[in-house]
Amino acid sequence: MQLFIRRYGTLIGFVAILVFFSAMLPGTFPTAKNWLNITQQVSMLMVVAAGMTVVMVMGDFDLSVGSAASLAGIVAALMMAAGQPIWASVAVALLVGLLGGAFNGVMVSLVGILPFIATLATMTMFSGLAFVVSGGKTISGRAIPEDFGNFARGGIPLGEWGGVAISLPNLSIIAVVVVLAVWVLLEQTTYGRRLYAIGGNMEAAHLSGIAVKRLRLIAFSLTGLAAAAGGLMYASRVASANPVQGSGLMLNAIAAVFLGTTMSRHGEPRILATVVGVIVLGVLDNGLTQMSVDSYVRQVLVGALILLAVAASSVTQGRR
Amino acid sequence: MAPPVPLLSATSVTKAYAGVPALSGASLVVAPGEIHALMGENGAGKSTLIKILAGVVAPDTAEIAVNGERVSIDSTKAAYRLGLRFIHQEFNVVPTLSVAENIFMGRRYPRRAGLFVDWVKLNREAQRALDRLGIDHINPSQNLGTLSLGDQMLVRISAALLDDAKLYVMDEPTAALTRDESERLFRVLREIRASGSSVLYVSHRLDEIMALCDKATVLRDGRSIDSGSMADITHDDLVSMMIGRKVEEAYPKPQSQPREATVFAASGLATPGLKPVSLSLREGEVLGIAGLSGSGQSELIRAIFGDAKLTAGTMTLAGAPYTPSSPAAAWQSGVAYVPRERRAEGLVMRRPIFENITLAHLTRQSRAGIWLTPNREKRFAAELGANMRLKVVGPQQDVLELSGGNQQKVVFAKAVAGNPRLLLLEEPTRGVDVGAKFDIYSIVRELTAGGAAVILVSSDLPELIGISTRIAVMRQGEITTVVDAAGLREDDLINLCYGRPTGMVA
Repeated sequence: MQLFIRRYGTLIGFVAILVFFSAMLPGTFPTAKNWLNITQQVSMLMVVAAGMTVVMVMGDFDLSVGSAASLAGIVAALMMAAGQPIWASVAVALLVGLLGGAFNGVMVSLVGILPFIATLATMTMFSGLAFVVSGGKTISGRAIPEDFGNFARGGIPLGEWGGVAISLPNLSIIAVVVVLAVWVLLEQTTYGRRLYAIGGNMEAAHLSGIAVKRLRLIAFSLTGLAAAAGGLMYASRVASANPVQGSGLMLNAIAAVFLGTTMSRHGEPRILATVVGVIVLGVLDNGLTQMSVDSYVRQVLVGALILLAVAASSVTQGRR
Repeated sequence: MAPPVPLLSATSVTKAYAGVPALSGASLVVAPGEIHALMGENGAGKSTLIKILAGVVAPDTAEIAVNGERVSIDSTKAAYRLGLRFIHQEFNVVPTLSVAENIFMGRRYPRRAGLFVDWVKLNREAQRALDRLGIDHINPSQNLGTLSLGDQMLVRISAALLDDAKLYVMDEPTAALTRDESERLFRVLREIRASGSSVLYVSHRLDEIMALCDKATVLRDGRSIDSGSMADITHDDLVSMMIGRKVEEAYPKPQSQPREATVFAASGLATPGLKPVSLSLREGEVLGIAGLSGSGQSELIRAIFGDAKLTAGTMTLAGAPYTPSSPAAAWQSGVAYVPRERRAEGLVMRRPIFENITLAHLTRQSRAGIWLTPNREKRFAAELGANMRLKVVGPQQDVLELSGGNQQKVVFAKAVAGNPRLLLLEEPTRGVDVGAKFDIYSIVRELTAGGAAVILVSSDLPELIGISTRIAVMRQGEITTVVDAAGLREDDLINLCYGRPTGMVA
């Protein structure tokens, strides 16, 4: 029974939330349009959290993803404002994220700084850089090519549902692709297996011939890459970039992974569990907004929910 | 004369976990002034019985009496009040605090003016506790983390001895101790016995038990067997009680003689903790490494395994130069390693058996070195496991759920899975029961029969003598002597370890 609550408590809570919102908002909540909307709303967070899952599998984490996302958005926007093609701007922004992540990886695995300290430092560095290169200004309006902003508004039409035309948003498709890629990486490849071994026992992994340092470096690079992708999606969605727009992503991404860990056997992060965590956060946000709950109250509720889920799983996980 | 009232009597103890019986009507009766051994293979119910006595686990049924009075031990506090003290394998100590602070942990520190800790007095009292064990090389004000594991254990024991208790329960106290440290501990245990208190001594080391204990209770499949007086039984009697059948041999005989061809040679191998060492191993040979703990054995192994920076020296493996830059390179060259601490260094406890076994061989145990093939891995692990008599539900079971002996077999399975040419073993049977030990030795024999060479570091001297072809003795970071193991006497080996002259003819 305890085990049941530990493993499925979060899922049961999720279902309760769904039932609650469906009862309170019967006309607008349980509709295909709203659900497709939710998938778009959470797509940025989904991508960043998927990247976060990769480092958290090793027992590390990355506080710099929010700043990296902002920086990537700024870099792309500046390049586009300077007349560079969209593809080049996006590519350079992703590269910035990859290199930023690799820098984290070097600090953590080669220099040997604790991830908390190293990524706290790079968090402020990336954020500062975003301000420096942008001059602290929001880049928007005509500086941003229309095609870039249109991408986030577009999607694949799915026909009509209840008399409303609905479509699968492009951003949601990207999120699904990223989640699939991370799932393949973590669950189907030797790389993922080795990351889980590092997370379980770093010394045993090292003595079993795993190149712990190199794998950690790669993992942090991937997390940086995902953060940049999340930042670009955000910039596309609002057709603008400012140096702080990714700042909310970091805490939510970590929260989503933690929510996910409450559902796994030994509390290890799993990508599909992270997906559930992200959707829980997204549904709460969506439902509470529709019920016009004040955004500050929303923060309190979301924080309390995370505590509840993690507490329930650790309390039942054996006391003493 | 009526028999004396037992100090502790626990009878008809039963306990089942989720329907699986751990204890089914076991009894344990300890007389006052007795050192009583509690024995049994891993999984026989020892730890469950101890946890029941400690008030950590509630029995399904049990009649427990202390000094003839019925009691129920429903909490660790109750056990403490009854005068029972527990010294566990996994020590709960704080390495960043001083020795004295660790000794007084959970007790009231001596104070000045009722407010300030009286550090001088604290250290003095801690010193007294250490003195009682005859420990003069530990300074109470130094950080516990700076001590060797053995010394840390001694500190724990001296803390438990601080207040006089009726019964001290010690779970494998000598696992991390050197011979000298163990002897010191045994002296104290005998003093405790002389003062009328008792000791319940849990160990896998039969020689220790034969020498130290007055009686034994042997657990097998959740039931207990009373050994009677230790003076009336032999080593082999004890082993048969534990495994429930007669044993012919503690160590399986080699299946073949070592061959001529050299598998591995090191010449002038040196690292910061290792003075230049040269050695060579032939096919099928087991080279034992003896020595006091910390004499450079681990450094030597780590150097061969590519996990240390060489300052000098060269190695060859199967005739070719061997220059491992990392454990990964060592595995690739066909060198396998069973580390000293299986939980800390050998296993990923919360992952399945098959993942642990293939962890060092994923490049081959996958498609193109990239794509996992779990079904193939599981079949591979199951075959390997069956071959070494691994007693598990299946290859997908988490290592966490296995007994110590089976966990060690998983470490061995990982080591032999790649058919190594050279196998490095450090304390391969520490904390492993008799049956599993024999299985592990058989694996070693099978490997050497196939032409592999083995380097065996062990503090278990009978094991060294029983398994090795030759034994190299290390002292202060270098090899001082190499002797043939056949016919070697234990006390001669001890003398060699201490650098004392032996009665041996060279």
